[in-house]
Amino acid sequence: MSGAILEVINLSKHFHRPRTLLSPLNRRSDVIPAVDKVSFYLRPNETMGLVGESGCGKTTVGRSVLRLLKPTSGNVIFDGRDITHYSDNELRPLRKDMQMIFQDLDAGLNPKMRVEDIISEAICVYGKLSDAEVRVKSHALLDQVNLKYSKLTSYPAELSGGEKRRVGIARMLAVGARLIVADEPTSALDVSIQAQVVNLLRDLQKQLGLSYLFISHDLQVVELMSHKVAVMYLGKIVEMGLTERVSGAARHPYTYILWSSLVEKQSHEAPRPARPDRRASSWGVYDFERPSRGCRFAPRCPVYQSLGRPAECTDPDNEPQLRDVGEGHQVACHFPLIS
Amino acid sequence: MNSSPLLRIENLRTFFYSQRKHAFVRAVDGVTLDVGRSETVGLVGESGSGKSITAMSVMGLLRGGPGVIGGRIEFESAHGRQNLLEKLQAFVEVHEQNGRVMSVSKDEKGWRKASERIMRNYRGKEISMIFQNPRTSLNPYMTVGGQIAESIRLHTANRSESEARERALYWLERVKIDSPKLRYKTYPAVMSGGMCQRAMIAMALSAEPSMLIADEPTTGLDATIQSKIVDLLEELKSETHISTLLISHDISVISRLSDRVAIMYGGAVVEFGPARQVLDPHEEARHPYTAALIDSVPSQQKIRDKSNLQAIEGDVLDTINVPAGCRFYDRCNRVKDGIRERCATQHPPLQEISSGHHMRCWLFAKG
Amino acid sequence: MKKYIQTTVDVVDYSSLPLVQKYALADLLYVAYGLLIVMLVLVSYFAGMFDMLPHDPQQINMDLLMSPPGTDGHLLGTDFMGRDILSRLIVGIQAYFLPGMLAISIALAGGVILGVPAGYWGGRIATCITYISNLVDSFPRMVLILLVIAAFKPDIYYIMIVMGITGVPAVATAISNKIYFLSQKNFIEAARALGLRRRVIIFKHILWYNCRALLIIQATLGMGEAILLETSLSYLGFGVQEPVPSWGNMVQSGANYFLQGNFWPSTAPALAILFTILGFNLLGDGLNNILEDRRGK
Repeated sequence: MSGAILEVINLSKHFHRPRTLLSPLNRRSDVIPAVDKVSFYLRPNETMGLVGESGCGKTTVGRSVLRLLKPTSGNVIFDGRDITHYSDNELRPLRKDMQMIFQDLDAGLNPKMRVEDIISEAICVYGKLSDAEVRVKSHALLDQVNLKYSKLTSYPAELSGGEKRRVGIARMLAVGARLIVADEPTSALDVSIQAQVVNLLRDLQKQLGLSYLFISHDLQVVELMSHKVAVMYLGKIVEMGLTERVSGAARHPYTYILWSSLVEKQSHEAPRPARPDRRASSWGVYDFERPSRGCRFAPRCPVYQSLGRPAECTDPDNEPQLRDVGEGHQVACHFPLIS
Repeated sequence: MNSSPLLRIENLRTFFYSQRKHAFVRAVDGVTLDVGRSETVGLVGESGSGKSITAMSVMGLLRGGPGVIGGRIEFESAHGRQNLLEKLQAFVEVHEQNGRVMSVSKDEKGWRKASERIMRNYRGKEISMIFQNPRTSLNPYMTVGGQIAESIRLHTANRSESEARERALYWLERVKIDSPKLRYKTYPAVMSGGMCQRAMIAMALSAEPSMLIADEPTTGLDATIQSKIVDLLEELKSETHISTLLISHDISVISRLSDRVAIMYGGAVVEFGPARQVLDPHEEARHPYTAALIDSVPSQQKIRDKSNLQAIEGDVLDTINVPAGCRFYDRCNRVKDGIRERCATQHPPLQEISSGHHMRCWLFAKG
Repeated sequence: MKKYIQTTVDVVDYSSLPLVQKYALADLLYVAYGLLIVMLVLVSYFAGMFDMLPHDPQQINMDLLMSPPGTDGHLLGTDFMGRDILSRLIVGIQAYFLPGMLAISIALAGGVILGVPAGYWGGRIATCITYISNLVDSFPRMVLILLVIAAFKPDIYYIMIVMGITGVPAVATAISNKIYFLSQKNFIEAARALGLRRRVIIFKHILWYNCRALLIIQATLGMGEAILLETSLSYLGFGVQEPVPSWGNMVQSGANYFLQGNFWPSTAPALAILFTILGFNLLGDGLNNILEDRRGK
């Protein structure tokens, strides 16, 4: 994809169960496919939302993209360079351009260092500056993230959640990143602080032309932040497209359930028209079967139930592939919902 | 509302002490609310607003000193009305200076003993509680069914083992756990978070209490599971008519389940009234904090326009350094010149501004 | 009745509080006492090195056998050969000071060398290192020391090398646990994501900022242990040999006269051992609480 800042092609990451003396006796497979053949691209100044339930592999995608993890297979292309097999030393100069916001507010904030030391360390990673220059730059960064200068002398333990998040963002801006993987940047924050951080991230994007891979389980925030959304289920992208399309005209049953559960939670009457053709009476969401081949969603899928359990859905060799259904909207389902 | 509510909390104060700063953490400082029979009251607030501490104070489950230091918690049961903090006041001595608590003497051993004697009759029997993290609240070394049966034998007339088992299975089915007979014998570790929460709800309700306190029952669960738990709670509410105090930071959950809503900020209830009135964005009389809180959630309109959110400036209140005036003063965007002085220096009282609608704000103060 | 008092109306920032309010009084007292002992040991050690002693510790004075404390300029009295006990006590520090330092250095260096990779990389390296640690740990220290003495000679340096090596697993485990705790909080990952070099992460962030307290504490506790080991072995006759003074052999030789009413030749070194070891241990405890901020909210 030309013009993309980030392109991910068939990315897979498998984790291994720790092998023990008795593991040959265990019939379970030793490999856990956390991410399985995920492909997407991200343009400059664009935000892509990555949503899904916990354990679906969205964080693993984020870490693999930044090469904090080594992918099992597939390619990560950053700014035209294939960084899949870069070593730590080769990656270091690129880290200037790609940064991560961690879900944990304390990540990266050394509890024994003052805020000024944390920020100046980040400023000086890619070239030593004089003390005066560092001070000017760190003040500018604090202005950018709306943090008082008086906080420079605080230790992380003395900061509130929102302030910690701001320091984390300042640190990331200090190196001058262009691609930012934001892993649940708001989930550890209070509602009123969440809004501040969301606004800050949006403003920074406008000012600096940042690109975000925005990982979150908060659908509303994702909808607000993102141009495109990819929905993940058990390590696969099941639907991807422009935010309005995915949220408003979902074609994959899982996406539909995800968004309608948000609406159902809010109001007594379901404001969305039911889709009688493919909507089953029972939405079996308790089943925790996790097939690793074929359609992973089939055991929970209402469409599968209502169509009388068609064989395609459970055929291990017939995995649904992402298909274009118009305007870049892609869905991986044998029987997509009719929009 | 009912003339005699089931639970009535009046001016509850629960403090902790920060060894490090040599100061009180005013976790709960002025909570007044009531829960009527077969009514659900939502308690909304951000972290640190004291909503969970309020629940723990009612249950008498607090650890750490000084804990509850004042107020009334009235509960009505078959044996009549009782203040759960009755006679306990004798164990506490509070010294105030300029309206600010400066020292507290508390006979903690005596308090705990007396409190346990009273709470024995209520905890689990009359008031049940479900917690945010169902996995850690269930005993990992006991089967799910066993735990429910134990609670049934402890709290209800069903004393025999087989009876208890029958009832436990009934409740497991009631909370829609698939194949309850099978699940009866499983351990919490092999169940998903949503299922554990269902089991917790079954356990809480199996004692047939008259009141349920649900502390963040959906937080930390996946979106699809959350909506199912909310469905279940709603269904149980309409079937069992149990009174519920529902604590959550998620306004959507509160707005769907609650009849009345109390909003907490910095340890105090700032607004309390019918859910429709409190949470309606078009309502005129709204506390500035409530209004700002609702506006800071991305609405469909905001998402369509891709406009920035209405963030509340500033930071969550530090309950150690509580200002003398209104606790929301620093972040409030509706302070007017006429009342600025009062907002900055005097803590507004909780006043009834219209029938059943209470507000702690100088904007709406009478007189 | 428990009383809680708020001292000020406007609560100040924690970090600007005076020391006495910031930390528990007990911890401050422990550290003060510990530092006093460390100072005394250091001063005495250098006094002994440069021969600034009240008397010659080896000088036998047949006129003043077993004289009680205070006699003729002998502050703590003399022993069964008329040697000045105070001077022998001061010189006795040399018996454990350098060897103890050696033991600590071996334990800390070994602990860092094994603990950092175990915590940082985990996986198979960690498993290997855990096995090595368990192997060393499972071998009784005393048996090992007696074996070394039997194989070579009863030299305090050999003993301390053994002590240092057997101390490695404890330090390594503490360090790798600390690193594991840091990586749980995405700390190391965040540092890598920022683009910091590995040696900066390990030396600056892990060892300097997060393990320095742990290392200091391990060092003080190690010194206490070294004194205990040296004195008990010398007491049994395996450590420092007469006529070179050591607190252990002083207690041993003095003990023969204890029941005759001449208690001071054994009591003085025994008390010195007690207060010194107590000092090092309390210093470790107090520093642990202060440096790790183990005090409430």
